[in-house]
Amino acid sequence: MRPALIIAWREYRQYIFSRGFLLFLILMPLGAILVGATLGFLEQSKSARRYVVVDLAGGYTETIAAELEIRRKWDILAAWDSWLALAAEPGALEAGSIPQPFYAAARSRARAESFAVEGLEAARAAVAPYLRRGAPPFASPPLEFAMIDPPAEVLAAPSLDAAVAAMRPYLLGERRLNEQPVFAAVFIPVDFGPRENATPAQYWSRNLTDFALKEAISDALGQALRGRAADRLGVTAEAFATLVDIRAPLSEFRADKDAHEAELGDRDRIEIALPAVMTYMLLVIIFAAGNLLLTGTIEERSNKVVEVLLSSVTAGQLMWGKLIGIAAVGLTLPTIFGVTGLVAAAGLGGAQFSSDTLSALFASGLIFIYLFYFAAAYAMFAMIFLAIGAVSNTMQDAQSYMGPLMLLVWLPLPFVVMIYQNPNGAVASVLTWIPIYTPYAVMMRAASDPPFWEIAGATALMLVFAAAIAGAMGRIFRHAILQSSPAKFKDVVKILRSDGR
Amino acid sequence: MTEPVLILENVVKRYGAFNAVDGLTFKVEKGEIFGFLGPNGAGKTTTLRMILSIIPATSGRISVLGSPSATPVRRRIGYLPEERGLYRKMRAAETIAYFSMLRGAKRDPARRKAAELLARFGLKDFARARNDELSKGMAQKVQLLAAIAHDPELLILDEPFSGLDPINQHALEDLIRSLRQEGRTVIFSTHVMQHAERLCDRFLIIARGQSRFEGDIAEARALHPPRLLLRTRDPADWLAKARGVAQLAHAGEAENGEKDYELSLAPGADPQLVLKAAFDAGLRLSRFELAGASLHDIFVAVAGEQASPIAEPLAEEAA
Repeated sequence: MRPALIIAWREYRQYIFSRGFLLFLILMPLGAILVGATLGFLEQSKSARRYVVVDLAGGYTETIAAELEIRRKWDILAAWDSWLALAAEPGALEAGSIPQPFYAAARSRARAESFAVEGLEAARAAVAPYLRRGAPPFASPPLEFAMIDPPAEVLAAPSLDAAVAAMRPYLLGERRLNEQPVFAAVFIPVDFGPRENATPAQYWSRNLTDFALKEAISDALGQALRGRAADRLGVTAEAFATLVDIRAPLSEFRADKDAHEAELGDRDRIEIALPAVMTYMLLVIIFAAGNLLLTGTIEERSNKVVEVLLSSVTAGQLMWGKLIGIAAVGLTLPTIFGVTGLVAAAGLGGAQFSSDTLSALFASGLIFIYLFYFAAAYAMFAMIFLAIGAVSNTMQDAQSYMGPLMLLVWLPLPFVVMIYQNPNGAVASVLTWIPIYTPYAVMMRAASDPPFWEIAGATALMLVFAAAIAGAMGRIFRHAILQSSPAKFKDVVKILRSDGR
Repeated sequence: MTEPVLILENVVKRYGAFNAVDGLTFKVEKGEIFGFLGPNGAGKTTTLRMILSIIPATSGRISVLGSPSATPVRRRIGYLPEERGLYRKMRAAETIAYFSMLRGAKRDPARRKAAELLARFGLKDFARARNDELSKGMAQKVQLLAAIAHDPELLILDEPFSGLDPINQHALEDLIRSLRQEGRTVIFSTHVMQHAERLCDRFLIIARGQSRFEGDIAEARALHPPRLLLRTRDPADWLAKARGVAQLAHAGEAENGEKDYELSLAPGADPQLVLKAAFDAGLRLSRFELAGASLHDIFVAVAGEQASPIAEPLAEEAA
């Protein structure tokens, strides 16, 4: 075992203590901070998307303006709540020391209105005693949309089509309105309404991929139509606003837990998300580590180091050393970022999140299940990568084998979502019984109490399959690694059929 | 009597229908410098790989340091393969220590030994140089030092002189001799006979995977008796029938009109009797030289019938 560990340590050092890796380790968080800061800056400095409403039916312009205004108040409140969760002392939040409407567990239109009425200055003053030392100041989200008056020629147009035609140069950037570009135009036809045969409103823009404004307009028009219908039914505007703000309280519960702990909390949400995170991580690590194994083995072949190695250690020790070393390389990066992320989250006021994540991983024992299947999947795929490296002199030689292998690695990805949504469904069962995908399937199902017999049987099958893969790939590795020329497919078949002599 | 360090009995390595090694049998005694000679493609590297258990033999018996496989005694063996290679980014001292550790040395002693060897062989200043910064000769030295750093009892060197300049070849010869003086056994393969002639206690010549000769240089010369080179102005063809002469051949003519003759002697024949016969017949000799068979001559005679290197089919090599 010692030679394998010496080889593993060399493999590990080669990548982890390289300048490139250390540079990546430093640059990665710096890059993330830079990207985040840049996005934040761009978001803050982004000018509002200006739009016009040509309301031929009458009365809708005001409704749209009011609806977008309340949406704006809602966004400010949401940003405030997110900021406060990180900026305030946790004790103050738990004790409920901060007065309404500046802090509350839930958001409502009524609270957004109250918050706007009180104003940001009052809000800042109210929470000031409860802020953590060094907490950044609250930055109000920038205005997303600004309604402006349509050009005179558009308003003077005799028909909807003429109004659209008059508006086009503005939308195409050929003309500007008050020296500013126009992002979109909304046309409300005369007979717009809730009737089936009513002419639909029209949303015109050069940029239809940025659909936030379109959705806001759609919501506002829907709200307007519902308001008019309520009015016809004799419901006052105040009563309608109250009705609209009603949210049905609905809690989620886990049927697999006792009643007193069944209500879905943050820890449960983390636990539910973990299988998908771990499975995705497994895929990425297999891909990354597999490539390292491939290039490393090809380098040893082309550098002719391998013969000295094989005179010093057995082919098995060489393989295990490489597998262990590269697995450690693959796990180092997510571990560093995971631990750093949890520590940083704890330091920035997300202590509960960090604690919940650790609890979901360790207290439930899921970590051990993940590690076992993680190791099994890694070993199976890594052996295949090693064998490909052993039969290739260059990456070009390896390409003919890499295509099918990549397909094999990534094939379960579309099914992962289906298993996530239905961990004990037919797709999950089928994937569980395909040995090379058993680890993916079981990791995805681990938190959902799959039938024990199914997991035990599929795992036994997987272990037999893994042993067969190890035997076959080991044989290819041993026989092909010393060949001076890359083995062809028929040679690989011969190796698999040979008795080793 | 101590058991031989290495025993091969009827060892065969077959790739499909091709016998790379065909019934090879020989022994190497402790403390010997043993030459493993043969033309390109004769099966030398294949044999060395089987000895080291890098590849299995198809049949036959191999005993290395008393073990039926090299695997359990790897730590007692050093190996320099024909195809040299180093990790490009690894440093010279680190390389020597790494391979030494793989062969059982502890980390700190391995590092110390690496530094000591580098200093001894003039590479002290390159201890921290990366292998891809070393010259070819330096890199070969590093590989050789990596093969001996764990103090092996048996050192197997496959074509160790190839790629070295004459000065380094000489230094390597000295190293091999000093290793023998320390009681180590050295086996080296080569197809350059001068090295073998200067170094080997005994040697084996193989061709087409089969043993053609095993013994020391005296035994080889006994099988390939010396030649007599004569120069005279008198007719000397009659010497072909003289006692002890197996064959006479004309070997050219000098500028002054004298003729050169090359006489092959029968096994065990005394050259002095030929000289006496020549004097008795009144031959005026200006040259009488006994030329012993060189290892090169012996090698060509023994292995010469093997033509070009045998290309081992890759597909079969894999199987």
